[in-house]
Formats: sequence, structure tokens, C-alpha cells
Amino acid sequence: MGLNSLRQAAGLCLAGLLCLFSANTVAADAPRPLKLTTTADHSKFKELQREFQSGPDVTKACLSCHTEAAGQIHRTKHWKWEFLNPVSGQTLGKKSVLNNFCISVASNYSACTSCHVGYGWKDASFDFSVEENVDCLVCHDTTGIYKKPPGLAGNPVVKDTELPPGSGKIVKGIDITKVAQKVGKSSRDTCGSCHFFGGGGDGVKHGDLDSSMAAPDKELDVHMDATGLDFTCATCHKTSSHDVAGSRYTPTAMDKEGAHVRGKEDKSNPATCVSCHDNTPHKKDERLNQHATKLACQTCHIPEFARGGVATKMSWDWSKAGERDAEGKQITRKDAKGRIIYESRKGAFELGENVRPEYFWFNGDVNYTLVTDKIDKPDGVTRINWLGGSPTDGKSMIWPVKVFRGSQPYDPENKTLVKPHTAGNDDTGYWKNLVWDKAIETGMKDAGLPFSGKVDFVKTEMFWPITHMVAPKEKALACSECHSKNGRLAGIQGVYIPGRDANPLVDRLGWGIALLSLIGSLGHGLMRFAARRKH
Amino acid sequence: MKITKPLTSIALLALLGASFSASAYDADWKRGRIYYRSVCTSCHVALPVGSINPSAKTMAEWSGYMQADKHAKGKDTVKQYVSKEYRASIKSANKAAEKFADVPDQELLDDIKAFVTKGAKDGEAPASCS
Amino acid sequence: MGERVYIFKGFERFWHWAQAGLIMFMMLTGFEIHGSYANFGFERAVNYHTIAAWTLVGLWVFAIFWHLTTGEWRHYIPTTEKVLVMARYYSSGIFRHEPHPFKPSQLNKHNPLQRLTYLGVLLFISPLIWITGWLYLFHADWLAWGLSSLRLEWVATGHTIGAFLMLAFFVSHIYLVTTGHTATAHIKAMITGWEES
Repeated sequence: MGLNSLRQAAGLCLAGLLCLFSANTVAADAPRPLKLTTTADHSKFKELQREFQSGPDVTKACLSCHTEAAGQIHRTKHWKWEFLNPVSGQTLGKKSVLNNFCISVASNYSACTSCHVGYGWKDASFDFSVEENVDCLVCHDTTGIYKKPPGLAGNPVVKDTELPPGSGKIVKGIDITKVAQKVGKSSRDTCGSCHFFGGGGDGVKHGDLDSSMAAPDKELDVHMDATGLDFTCATCHKTSSHDVAGSRYTPTAMDKEGAHVRGKEDKSNPATCVSCHDNTPHKKDERLNQHATKLACQTCHIPEFARGGVATKMSWDWSKAGERDAEGKQITRKDAKGRIIYESRKGAFELGENVRPEYFWFNGDVNYTLVTDKIDKPDGVTRINWLGGSPTDGKSMIWPVKVFRGSQPYDPENKTLVKPHTAGNDDTGYWKNLVWDKAIETGMKDAGLPFSGKVDFVKTEMFWPITHMVAPKEKALACSECHSKNGRLAGIQGVYIPGRDANPLVDRLGWGIALLSLIGSLGHGLMRFAARRKH
Repeated sequence: MKITKPLTSIALLALLGASFSASAYDADWKRGRIYYRSVCTSCHVALPVGSINPSAKTMAEWSGYMQADKHAKGKDTVKQYVSKEYRASIKSANKAAEKFADVPDQELLDDIKAFVTKGAKDGEAPASCS
Repeated sequence: MGERVYIFKGFERFWHWAQAGLIMFMMLTGFEIHGSYANFGFERAVNYHTIAAWTLVGLWVFAIFWHLTTGEWRHYIPTTEKVLVMARYYSSGIFRHEPHPFKPSQLNKHNPLQRLTYLGVLLFISPLIWITGWLYLFHADWLAWGLSSLRLEWVATGHTIGAFLMLAFFVSHIYLVTTGHTATAHIKAMITGWEES
């Protein structure tokens, strides 16, 4: 130990102190970086400062502080996929209903439950009482990297994995530890990770929800405009106790409650337009408020859906599924824009962008044709769900709707719709084997339902009220869109629309009288003219 | 040696700490996404270049691009198009520039970097623009 | 010939032509709103129709005031005297170049058939159009006015009937303008105020 080394040490020490000092002065000048959007920076919590191995592993850490959260989730539709309609008495929810997209969850759990707010729902034996199987991250991720691929029963991939097994395709594992440490409020991205992709792909199902809504501009949605109001889903779908407000099973078609105000008890749906805008939102023209007694806000303010550049499916014909190429392989056909319009495993599709909705009187009642219901008219169109409403019930408004049309398998003997086994790397899954009777047998057995073994196809319709993608007011419908002979509301009964409607008798008589006076005048004039010539 | 070692390590730690606190900004990829789409893409769509998806490059390529700071093959810089001055110049016509008018240049640059890195070809969530 | 009578005063002529213009414009916009054709587009047609209606209201306020204060309203008192004579003239005499049986004067500017027709317009067509038009315009306030059982369809149909009657009147009126002592005598009178006979 020489003098030199001592000097060195002292010098280093001084440098170090200087550094500390300078760092301190910087810190004193500018306040330390602070998050103002939350009171808790989860990355600083010691409970989260370790490597996580799986989803439930993270959830256990969450629940060590958020003790009630899982129990709250357990009470919701997001968890149970079950809903008892208090009006119709029907048992609904994803677990029970079927649709005319991928049809049904039964026997396809591992694929479908990639959108379940939980881990491990791979068959009907799933235990709904386990708290650590609640998936906190799917709603509270802020990194945008959390993903739950189909086939894993709602589990994310945390290590690089070959998926499906034996396919040679490697799905990269996500850094679940980073996701856990960065949790925050739900966002358009988190809700969208499922709701944008309903029906098996981007924008497929809803038409007014797709990935373009993650960061939309004002043209696409005035409220969620990322450079403007920047609403998240929860701004309207105001959530308490983890139970998200708003429902497709019991929507609010007409909101008479008016705007929600602090201090006033508001038990009505907070996700309606009226809950903020009240029932007389048009300040300049009282006539428009009058319109709003019959028309849902959405009717004028959402002129078209699927406006963000993502196409939505408009029809799905399962009866065309099953084609193979010369080598017996499944095929895919695309349209001029490169969008898939045929897949052997799914059938033929029609896609739409900037789609004009169809319009119906709607009072909030939604009824379903369940798998246990008999199909009345196998030759006609079976409505998988339908909207109640009439111009005279005092509860209905005219609503914009995406009508999704399809053709799907049914049992011509038992006269019921069926739940086929589609997804699954096994001997009966339709998507792999392209054989209907085996697929349906497996699916119906899983659902505990009878199947005759015969398969035919029935035309179906589903009704999806449109409520997102609210356009700027300048883009709201012009009067003539409805006030014309073949306008948007051409098929709407029970309301007199000037420009569309006229009493045909009055019109005939009216024009008749006008014409008669013209003929009379001309005749009289002609006679005068003739008389003058004679003289 | 018994004295110097801890002293040296303290000094080193102090240095590390200083550099760490200087770059403690936690990049916001969502803000980067908005700027990328509303400012970068809105221009690129109009120009012959066309829009560029984050997934068009690898993370390393993006990192190199941001490091080199050469925009339009070196005619100008990337930083320039993220700067407060540039934002001020377009904010009357660009809502993203207006919204982020006062964000420090380096923060916004980090945000954009976070967005393209996350969405890169080999990133954690490869992203194509929509 | 050569005898000139000053029949239509300045305000009266202004009233007539302003009203004529407004009514023609309102028929044009009105039948567009009705859906008979497309010209301005529904929204602008409604706005123009409304503006014209309010303008006509203003004009009428002045006209009613003028008629009452000047006593000119008396020209619309119906009379049965000479009605048949007039009817016979229009249906036969006019073809034989018989002289016009009615000589307008300052005290009696409308012939008996005109009196009847204008009174009909005034008592039947106008109220029908005005009342239904007013209700139409204030559709948003029906509930507040206690008119909850009134239906837009009835009001609109009534308004349309009024419009057709006005159209028929308009056509006949245009033609009858030519039936003065000369074909242009009436129109000249309405422009200059002087009727030659």
C-alpha cells in the first residue's frame, strides 16, 4: 500500500463525492420523476420483485395485497361466462349461448378460454372457486406484450414454446415478470385484447370494435381519440368491484334517467350516451332533441361502422367449409385486398368496411335461440338472437345494428342447432379433420346434449347493436339520409318521416286538382284564342 | 487495499447512480405510438416512402436507426422531427404535436423508441400499422 | 278606353309581390320536403322553408295592420251580387268578346268571384296552412303544450292538403291574370297600381 494508491483512492473518492453532489444538485433543481396517474408504482413493491413462473404465480402475489379482488372477479360475467336474463329467464353467457361465428365454447374450451379472465379452463370440470386462477394481467397489463394464445386454456406463454405441439412453430415467451411489475389501470389495449378480436380475429364480430380503436383519431371515435379526449373503455363502462358496466344481454335501449350527477344516486347504466349527455344534448336546435326521443344517439352519430381500416365479417357460410386441394390439403382464398374470404376449416366469408348499419326498433330485450330450442322453420332464417321492440311500446328507440348472416350446422332430426367441436388437435376437431358428424358428436356430448347423427345447414342471423366509433358531429347523418324515399329508415314502421312518407290518396288528389286547374286554364285560354281568331 | 476497495466501489456506485438517475425516465410506448402514427406515419403515408410498420425492422435495426439519427438518408435528423420546435411548427394542424407540445425532446424520443422496439420484427409484440 | 283608375296602392303591391315570391319559394321548398323531388337537399329546403315562413309571418303582421287601419279589409267582404254574371262571363261571354261586366274602382277593386275566392283562401287554405305549419315547426314542443295525442302524420297531411290547394289556386290565379280587359291589364295594374279600361 503506497502513497500513490492512497492518492488514487482519495481522488476516486473525491470524484465519487462530486458525482453524488452533482446528482443531488440536479435532483434538487428538478423534482424527481413522479407518476401522477397512480399512487402506486408497482415496480417498487417487494412482492413483485422476483421472477414469476406463471399466471397464477403472479395472481398469488397480487392477492397478497388486493385481498378481495379475486372474489370480486368471481362474481362477474367475465369470470362465469354465465348470465341469467331476469326478463326472459334464459340462461345466457358465453358458456351457454351459441353464435354464428365460431359457434360455441363447449368442447373448445382451450381455444376459447384464451379470452377468459382466468387460467386453466380447459374443460367443463374447471373449478371456478380457485382465486389464483383469476387473470389480473389480461386487464391490468400496461406493457402491451401480455398475450394468451388459443389452445392454452387462458395461459400465457412464459417460455419459448412450440405451438401447436409438433407444428414446428415457436411462440416466443413473454417476460411475465416485467408485465407483473408494470401493472396499471385497464386501457383500450387491455379490453381490446379480447373485445377487438371477438369471433376469431381482428374486428370480426362487432364491427364497431377492432384494433384500430386502440389509438383512434377523432374521425374514428370522438371520445377515444388518442390525441384528444382519450377515453378508455372504463371511462364509460364505469366499473366498481371489478364488475364492468354495460351488457349485450340486457342493454339499455332507452335511457330516461338523464345525466349522472355526483350526489345523486344513479343506479342506471353509466355506459349510455345519456348518462353524460342527458336527454336534450342539442343546444342549437330543439328539433334534434325531438329526434332523440325516437332515435338512439348512435343512429345519427355512427354513420358507418368498421371505419378504422379493419374489415368486419358480415356473413359466414359454414356450409361451404371442407374443400381440399388436389393434394388433400386445406385451402385458403383471399380477396383482392388480401383478406381471407375462404378457409376449408371455416367456410366462406363476406367482409365489410365502412358499413352502413341496418336499423330496428329496439327496447333492450334480447332473446336467444338456445341449443335446446327447436328450430321452427329450417327452410327460413333462424335468428340466434333477436331484438325486442316496437314503435308503440314506449320503450323502444330506432337503433343501428350490424346484422350478421350465416349458415351453420344443425340437427335436422332433433331440429336444434348444434355445438360442434372445432378447435383441438385431435381426431374429431372439425378444423383439423373437416368431418362434421364426428365433430358435432363430440361437441354435443361435451355439452350433454342429444345428437341424431344427421347434419344439415340452416340460415341464421345475429343482431349486434352498434354503439362505438362515434363520429365527430360534423359527420353525423345528414337529414336526407332518412328524409328521402329510399333512405336509411325506409324499412322502419310506426313513425311519420317527412320526405319519406306521404298519404298516397292526398298526393293523388292534390296533384289531380293542380293538374285539373292547369288543364282548365289552358283549355279556357285555348277557347279564348280560338274565339278571337273567328272574329 | 483494505481501505481503497470499498472506497473505489462507493465511487463507482456513485457514478452509476448518477448516470442511472439521469436516465430514470420510464418510456411510455403508448405516447410513442400516438406520435409515431399521428406525426411520423401521417407524413410518410403522403410521401412516396409510404407508411413504415414497426415490424418492418428488427430491434437492432431500430436501435441503430435511432442512434445514427439520420432521417431521409441523412438529409436531416430524426431528433429534428421530434423536437419541440418541430412540434410547435405543426401543432396547428396536428393534434398529437399539439397534445405533446411541452414534452421534453428526449422523453418523446424514448417513447418512440420504446414503441418501435416493442413492435419490431423480433420485438415483444410485433406490430403492423392499422 | 283610356280611363285609368288607381287601384293598388304602393304597400299593397309590395305586399302582393313579396307574398307571391315567398309562396312560390315555399311551394318549391315545401314540395321538396314532401319528397316530391330533390333540389336544395332536405336540410336546406327545411331551413329555407322555415325562414320564408317567418318572413311571411312578418309580412302578414304589416299587411293585417295595413288592412285594418286603412279599412282595405272591406274589399274581402263577400257579395252574391253579380256572382252569376261573372260566372256567365267567364264561361261564355269572354269567348264572344262581350265587355267585362266588372269595372274595378278604388272602392271596389275585386270582382265578386275574386272576393269569394280570396275569402276562401283567407278563411280556409291560409288557416289550414298556418295552423299545421305552426304545429309542424314546433313539433318539439307538443308535449309541453299538452298535445301528446297529436300525430305528426295528421299535421303533415293537413299541411300537404293546404299546399295542394294553394298550388291549384296559384295555377288558376296565374291564368286569370290574363283575363282582364286586355291580357296584360291585370298584371300592369299590380305593377303600376293603375288599371286601364
